[in-house]
Amino acid sequence: MTLKSGTTSACAACKYQRRKCIPECLLAPYFPADQTKVFQNAHKLFGVSNIVKILKSLDPSQHAEAMRSIKYQANVRDKFPVYGCLGVIRQLYYQIQLLEEEFHSVLSQLEMYRQYHHEVPSQLELGMAPPTNGLNFLTAVSDMPVSMQHSYSNSNNIGYCSSYVDSKDHNNNNNNSNSNSNNNNNNNSLWIQHPFLATNNSSSSNSNENNPLMAIQSQLLVSNMQPLVKQHEVVQDYDELHPFFDTIDDRQSFIHSKEPYDSSCEDSAKETTQAIELVPNNELKNAAACFSLTSVH
Amino acid sequence: MSSSSYSSSPCAACKFLRRKCMPDCIFAPYFPPEEPQKFANVHKIFGASNVSKLLNEVPTFQREDAVNSLAYEAEARLKDPVYGCVGAISVLQRQVITLQRELDATNANLFRYAYNEMPPLRPPPPPPPPAAGQSSGFYYPYQWNDPSDEDNERSSGGNM
Repeated sequence: MTLKSGTTSACAACKYQRRKCIPECLLAPYFPADQTKVFQNAHKLFGVSNIVKILKSLDPSQHAEAMRSIKYQANVRDKFPVYGCLGVIRQLYYQIQLLEEEFHSVLSQLEMYRQYHHEVPSQLELGMAPPTNGLNFLTAVSDMPVSMQHSYSNSNNIGYCSSYVDSKDHNNNNNNSNSNSNNNNNNNSLWIQHPFLATNNSSSSNSNENNPLMAIQSQLLVSNMQPLVKQHEVVQDYDELHPFFDTIDDRQSFIHSKEPYDSSCEDSAKETTQAIELVPNNELKNAAACFSLTSVH
Repeated sequence: MSSSSYSSSPCAACKFLRRKCMPDCIFAPYFPPEEPQKFANVHKIFGASNVSKLLNEVPTFQREDAVNSLAYEAEARLKDPVYGCVGAISVLQRQVITLQRELDATNANLFRYAYNEMPPLRPPPPPPPPAAGQSSGFYYPYQWNDPSDEDNERSSGGNM
């Protein structure tokens, strides 16, 4: 339906609802007429009335950002109907853990080299012959436990958004977390709980029994997270993560998707996705098991 | 609201909606009456009918995961109406980028140390804050930005 003046066409929202798109239409700036799919995703997840409700609760200066996040969330849900943004968060969390483990390993090797570098001159002074091949030393160092060097763990506090920090929720969910004992997330972390207990579909809801609160808590300083290897009992309910990374969806492939909202930044997304695809399947299942939901009031 | 034909109490959804909880209620397995806030949040953000439609499109064995993810997103949106759970994604993605850079730099340092026996370089400086021209500093992985959004971003200069 077009305006009587015929100068502008109705926005995708008004087109979908078959109503006149007035100049004061809240959604018109964010759902142009040529992006019907984006609107359909947002409408499917939130609904027009809920989107308008959210916008009306915000300052007009925040509308653009809010709509951007709403559209993003809806599009992710369209791609990943089961896990939505939570799946993306898990994926990133797992990626962070891998990077941190590798980083700690490299740091420990570097520290060994530093120590060796200091020791060798003193050995030379004592008339002791240094090792002939530095590579042998490197090999020996690599066998050292990874957990040696954790100086990084607290040294790089990025300004994490602390919007979700809720001490009450956190305290209530301490019982269910395997890694909340070393709690560094009071001020600088989102809360996405590392051990995934509550969403074992058919296995149990034991964590929910203890904590009827519903939340996802996290320590973004993931050096405190335990390795994923302990979650071997992950049930097949998380097989979805395997196709999640291979097909990047329950029912369709993300990489090969040609949806109209795929952006020019797809390459960077593909790199992230492809890097993650290299992860072995059982590790993905273990990763999924490491996220859990505990209920909150 | 209760019926003598079945003994279980109505689910949180039917309690909230003040309707009879039928035996085939799609919400009942996932919104137990002990967790009223869970459904209240989901209903407030997404709406019961949308959730019902979403659950119908998902295989039964994945519905609990779908509900839990919706509950998470709803709660995140209630706590942060502007960014919702996307805020977490942005922060995590930034952390991944930073970690990757530091790892690359440290690997290079280690290589230099191992093969050249040079003193290790200092760790790289933290990445600079987002440029003033960027809209919000938010990093959206798997960006689905509309071209019109990019124009709005450059001109609006919103904040995080």
